[in-house]
Amino acid sequence: MKISGTTTLPVPPERAYQMMQDPEILAKAIPGCESLENIGPDEYRMKMKMALASFSGAFDGKVKITEQSPPTSFRLAVEGSGRIGFMKGDGLLKLTPIESGTEISYEGDVQIGGTIAAVGQRMIDATAKMMIKRFFEKLAA
Amino acid sequence: MIPQAFDYSAPQTLEEALGLLASGAKPLSGGMSLIPMMKLRLAAPDHLVDLRGLKELNYIREDNGTLRIGAGATHYTVESSALVRAKCPLLAETASHIGDVQVRNMGTIGGSVAHADPSADYPAALQALEAKLVLKGAKSERTVSIDDFLVDTFTTSIEPGEIIIEVIVPASGPQCSYEKVVQPASGFAIVGIAAQLNKSNGKISYARIGVTGLSNRAYRASAAEKALEGTTGSAQDISAAAALVADGVDANSDLFASAEYRRHLTIVHAARALRSALA
Repeated sequence: MKISGTTTLPVPPERAYQMMQDPEILAKAIPGCESLENIGPDEYRMKMKMALASFSGAFDGKVKITEQSPPTSFRLAVEGSGRIGFMKGDGLLKLTPIESGTEISYEGDVQIGGTIAAVGQRMIDATAKMMIKRFFEKLAA
Repeated sequence: MIPQAFDYSAPQTLEEALGLLASGAKPLSGGMSLIPMMKLRLAAPDHLVDLRGLKELNYIREDNGTLRIGAGATHYTVESSALVRAKCPLLAETASHIGDVQVRNMGTIGGSVAHADPSADYPAALQALEAKLVLKGAKSERTVSIDDFLVDTFTTSIEPGEIIIEVIVPASGPQCSYEKVVQPASGFAIVGIAAQLNKSNGKISYARIGVTGLSNRAYRASAAEKALEGTTGSAQDISAAAALVADGVDANSDLFASAEYRRHLTIVHAARALRSALA
């Protein structure tokens, strides 16, 4: 499923770029992230716990940052799997300076499989959008 | 299809139930969403508190121009209540569209609203009716509007330990309609539009439109309401107002309906709901 959108952060692109490469900040901003552990250059092992409505599940996954061209764009890949299913997302983030800070536009693909996708197909889009929204809200906070 | 082991309590009084919930247990009402999730092991609560034995949550009464509906009222109870049909026909009609007959016999208004499924039927009508919810915890009681309650997909402003105990809707007239495009497999709304109008002396003096299924949560289409109020409700007035219902809304998409198609369905069915409310 394609996901795209734009959002803004109240900091200049250099700072916004730096924040999104910082594992400590990422760990706080990724919804449900419990730990982020460096396992290679720009590659992290992530443990996350998701609770939504009556769903809840633990995911074990990876976050990888590639195609870095600071401070204008980079590619973020996130994948995770757990007992209730798996998810995989890959997107290009572009940063543009604006008056109030930085505009971030993202465009990517999200795949979800397993039990959660089989029964929750109609909820995936709304859930993915909510998680992205929360991520940027926490990043801005 | 066998859920993980869990503790089960079936309190007989609200006070006892709230006490148990204060210690972190999960409330179970009709179980029409929670039990399937538990059977698939997508949800694994340690402790369920069954609210179905609470007779004090099962009532519908008229009170000073409003209807007060206990959270434990099933969809069938709301749909078939003579009082709701007479004093708030929009809610009775909406309830009759939920799921199938088995779901309507088990599912409750409180459980459905608290679950905050973005495609559930009730929130459209409750938005159009500007409903209020009474939330109660072991040590607190507060009343919130449906708009403040619904925060995002499956996300509400309810606090841990709180449950919905009552839904309050204003007594409303017969110029109303709920139009739903149903997802045949799940019974949920792909989109659903609830309209509550008042037309007197040839002019629409009051218009409220609630939309579910289109986006992350049910909302009121305020721009469309404003466009309709003060008009005579002609075919052109209705088309012009309906064209605004999806304005500025980030539409969802799934295998069944793309965002663009959902938006289109919302506009078409909003016009139908408005026509049918005025018919």
